[in-house]
Amino acid sequence: MKLDPENILKVRALTKSVQLEDKTLELLQPLDLTVNVGDTLAIVGSSGSGKTTLLSLLAGLDLPSSGEVYLKSNALHQFNEEQRSQVRANHVGFIFQQFLLINSLTALENVMLPAELANLSDAQQRGKDLLAQVGLSERADHYPSQLSGGEQQRVAIARAFISQPDILFADEPTGNLDTKTGQHIADLLFELNQKQGTTLVLVTHDHKLASRCQRQVEMDSGVLTEKVIKHQASEDITTVEKVG
Amino acid sequence: MSANLPELGASNKSNLWIKQSLRLLHHEFRRGELTIICLAIVLAVATVFSLSGFSGQIKQALLTNSSTYIAADRVLRTSRVASNDVIEKSQFYDLQMAEKVETESMVFAGDNMLLSELSVISNSYPLRGELKVKKSIVQQESTIVHAPEPGSVWVEPSVLTRLEIQIGDEIEIGVASFEIKGIITDIPDRSYRAFIAGPTIIVNIVDLAKTELVQPGSRLTYKYLFAGENDAIKSFEEWLKPQLNDTQRFYDAKQAQSRLSNTLTTAEKFLSLASMLGIVLAAVAVAVASRRYGQRHQPMVAVFKALGASVSHIRKLYYLHWSLLSLISISIGLVVGYCLLLLGISAIDSYLSLENTDLGYKPFSTAVITGLLCAIAFAIQPIKSLIKTSPLSVIRGFSHEKPPRFGLHQLPPLLALFALLMMFSQDFMMSISLLIGGMIVSIVLLLFGQGLMSAGRSVGSQAGKSWHLALANLKRRASENSVQLVSFTIAIKLLLLIVVMKNSIISEWQQQFPENTPNHYVMNIAENQLESIGDFVNSHDIQSQGFYQVFRGRISAVNGELLLNRESAEESNEESKSTDGDLDKSETTEKQEAKNNSKTSDEENKPRQGMGRELGLTWRDEVPYQNELIEGQWWQKDDQQGQVSIESSIAERMSIKLGDELTFDLGGKTFTVPVTSIREVNWKSRQLNFIMVFNKPVLKDFPATYISAWMVPEQAKTALAQFFKEFPTVTMMDFGAILKQLYQVIEQVSIAIELILVLVVLAGSLVLVAQVQASMEERERELAILRTLGAKGSLLRNSVLFEFVALGAIAGLMASIAMEIAVYFLQTQVFDMSASFHFSYWLLGIGVGAGFVGFVGLFSCWRLLRLSSVTLIRRTM
Repeated sequence: MKLDPENILKVRALTKSVQLEDKTLELLQPLDLTVNVGDTLAIVGSSGSGKTTLLSLLAGLDLPSSGEVYLKSNALHQFNEEQRSQVRANHVGFIFQQFLLINSLTALENVMLPAELANLSDAQQRGKDLLAQVGLSERADHYPSQLSGGEQQRVAIARAFISQPDILFADEPTGNLDTKTGQHIADLLFELNQKQGTTLVLVTHDHKLASRCQRQVEMDSGVLTEKVIKHQASEDITTVEKVG
Repeated sequence: MSANLPELGASNKSNLWIKQSLRLLHHEFRRGELTIICLAIVLAVATVFSLSGFSGQIKQALLTNSSTYIAADRVLRTSRVASNDVIEKSQFYDLQMAEKVETESMVFAGDNMLLSELSVISNSYPLRGELKVKKSIVQQESTIVHAPEPGSVWVEPSVLTRLEIQIGDEIEIGVASFEIKGIITDIPDRSYRAFIAGPTIIVNIVDLAKTELVQPGSRLTYKYLFAGENDAIKSFEEWLKPQLNDTQRFYDAKQAQSRLSNTLTTAEKFLSLASMLGIVLAAVAVAVASRRYGQRHQPMVAVFKALGASVSHIRKLYYLHWSLLSLISISIGLVVGYCLLLLGISAIDSYLSLENTDLGYKPFSTAVITGLLCAIAFAIQPIKSLIKTSPLSVIRGFSHEKPPRFGLHQLPPLLALFALLMMFSQDFMMSISLLIGGMIVSIVLLLFGQGLMSAGRSVGSQAGKSWHLALANLKRRASENSVQLVSFTIAIKLLLLIVVMKNSIISEWQQQFPENTPNHYVMNIAENQLESIGDFVNSHDIQSQGFYQVFRGRISAVNGELLLNRESAEESNEESKSTDGDLDKSETTEKQEAKNNSKTSDEENKPRQGMGRELGLTWRDEVPYQNELIEGQWWQKDDQQGQVSIESSIAERMSIKLGDELTFDLGGKTFTVPVTSIREVNWKSRQLNFIMVFNKPVLKDFPATYISAWMVPEQAKTALAQFFKEFPTVTMMDFGAILKQLYQVIEQVSIAIELILVLVVLAGSLVLVAQVQASMEERERELAILRTLGAKGSLLRNSVLFEFVALGAIAGLMASIAMEIAVYFLQTQVFDMSASFHFSYWLLGIGVGAGFVGFVGLFSCWRLLRLSSVTLIRRTM
């Protein structure tokens, strides 16, 4: 399917279920979602609501039970593991709750990794620049175990942006950090995102973080609902109400 | 951006996986993350290299040293002159050759005559060992010589006393006369048997024709002695053996020398066993370490995949990473193994002359194949599942999914283990039974261990806090722990096994030769000499086993059926008589040789109707010392009815049962007696033993001489010269020298065994360390949680310590039980020893298990235990 030029991600009638011993557990009820280029979208919901499952399907890490997922016109639901890897290498960036840096590689090498996999020629220079942007120039040769949690996540952010992905998926990016560090990481994430004009899909249960996105969808027991956001003039507090 | 990105070019990609692989390897080596896996392969290779090199060297050196007992590497013994083909072929293989012809002959000096053993030798004799003579009575030091000059002979001292002549005098042999030019003090391939015709005289082979002793029908034994390079000897042997007939035999030192051969075979078996166990241990270490390697790399593979790396990229990256790791480890292993080998060799160099031995390619090839097999077969499963890691794990977490315990995936390691065992033992049955036995033991241990740990939990709930926590941990991790337990158990068991076997082998050897082992046999004692010889014994502090009457006779019929004494049977017996250092098969202790040969050599398996030669017969009132009655009843002292008791293996060989009537021929007079008992004789003891023992009435009318076995102490040796002068007709045989050589061999082999033990202990320790390391991440997480919950440092420390101590103690207990079973099997089936139990080693097993596993566990966790709560939490969350 050819996507509209303004769409980067389109999902139709997507479901995911797992077969337990005696019954089928529906993780996701049939859902539709469209994300436009440059959008920032937050998927919120309580633990176990299915938001992480959705993220893994959108990013092509997993296959749906039924329905369609298109990422930049690539029909991920029809692709095998290798083809989806290729799509990820070319278009997708990730930030994980657990940071997931490779312990045996230095900060700089961790950052360079996606650029290398995408076969970019100036991986090292890009890596250094990005480390500078996240304020870790001095720690380029350090191993992850020598960095604090906040520093590790900054490295992860640099890694996510190095290949200038079309779309960035972030899974609870501040979930493992204290409030202050979390705030700082979020600032950095949105700053880089704005600078590069990347589409951002964020999974979080932190409403404050979610509120920094243009759009929010809520998962509840596998059902997705879009939230309409009203900005109150008096305070910088966002209230939301459910529609549909 | 995608539009601007170049597509993934094949050429750049190929560089990338190499680059990333090397980068990973470099960092991981630097950070010490590959130390255990690397050490495991290094140790496997080094163990195999040094053990196979070392035991090969020892075997070779022992064999070379023992070759002195036959004065050559191989001997062809035949009753006719060997064909020219044989000589030419030996020249073709560049072998050294010497000839020796043995016969009995009367020699004369004036009016005196003496039956003597003639050894007619060529100039190159001996090829191994030393022939020593003294050129005069007064000369203290012996000279090392080859053959006497033509026209002259060397004689044993009793020739001079019995013929009443001196050095320089002439004696007549056959129709020629010879000048005596020296006294023989040492003959390398001396025969030790009771009824040798007389003292030895050595003649040069060029003089043989001159004596005219070689006549049709004359009984001569031709020996062709060969020595040379190992490979050449083997090729020659392969060529020659198929052509041998019934009356010819081609043998090496081991086949010739029963006692030495027993010692060497046991040592060889032990060295092989120790090597195999070392390999198994090292392989287990590789298996454990590679599983951990796989688990540790899972996040990396998941991230790589999430970031878009293809499976083929990851596969190539890891195959290269693993191959390089293996190659580096194998290379280091070879170097380490070589150093260990040099160390081992230098340690025994003063005991064993190793200059004639070469290392060969075998240790190299065996070690490299072992390294490759370990690296490939034991790592293939972990790496395969590593590559399969789902990219979804970056979100869902890492399951550390274990493959099912029993399944096809275990085939490669099992096959590899089998291949390794086969390569080492070259014994299919032994390898397959070790493998299947090992598998059964592992499964039993697995189940038993889980049960024990569960039981521990309920005990623990009554115990202190630390114990409670420790045993709860054990129980909770019963499944993982039981795998760990199996490796601990196997490691401890193999260590115990080696220690126990080593000790029991060495003590069995020592038992064979206790302090008061006789070192002289004294024969041909006449009744009227008994008193004065008894005085001599008492006055010189000689320990005598008493004097026994000996009669010479043949067994001629069983139940009236005449026995067929074939010539070939005669040959065979003659040959063992003259080569195996036997006093006489009927009388001394070397029966073992017959037993061994009947097991190993086809020649000996042929039915032999008669004994083929004269036996030494005796009478006794009581069951002889160290004999055991296994059938029938011993006679009463006053029983007038003639009876005979027969040795069990001969009874079996000749199909003689209780109640059979045996007819004997003593100097032309025959008599028939029933078999009333069958005895088992301990042939390994160097006591005076007899195949046929009668009650007194049977033999009382026959002429007899007396025989005795003495332990002559060092200080009494000089008095023996006086003894010969006083009792010239008595024959004395000194086998002190051969005993001394045996002691030396035992000592050397004991040292070798201890060195190998050290290597096996190292391999076992590595398994323990690798196994503890493998569980470290899990423990780290738990410690973090407990710390967060406010557990005190001492509680955590003790719970870790106790958990490992308990694990080690359980492993030690199970190892002791498993060891006991294995030792029983090895002692009875492989080493031909009597079984024994070793409860004192159970304590050792449990103690060592608890102590060592506790120490290694605590040591490995120590770093974690010292970390602050925050650091610990950050590392694990």
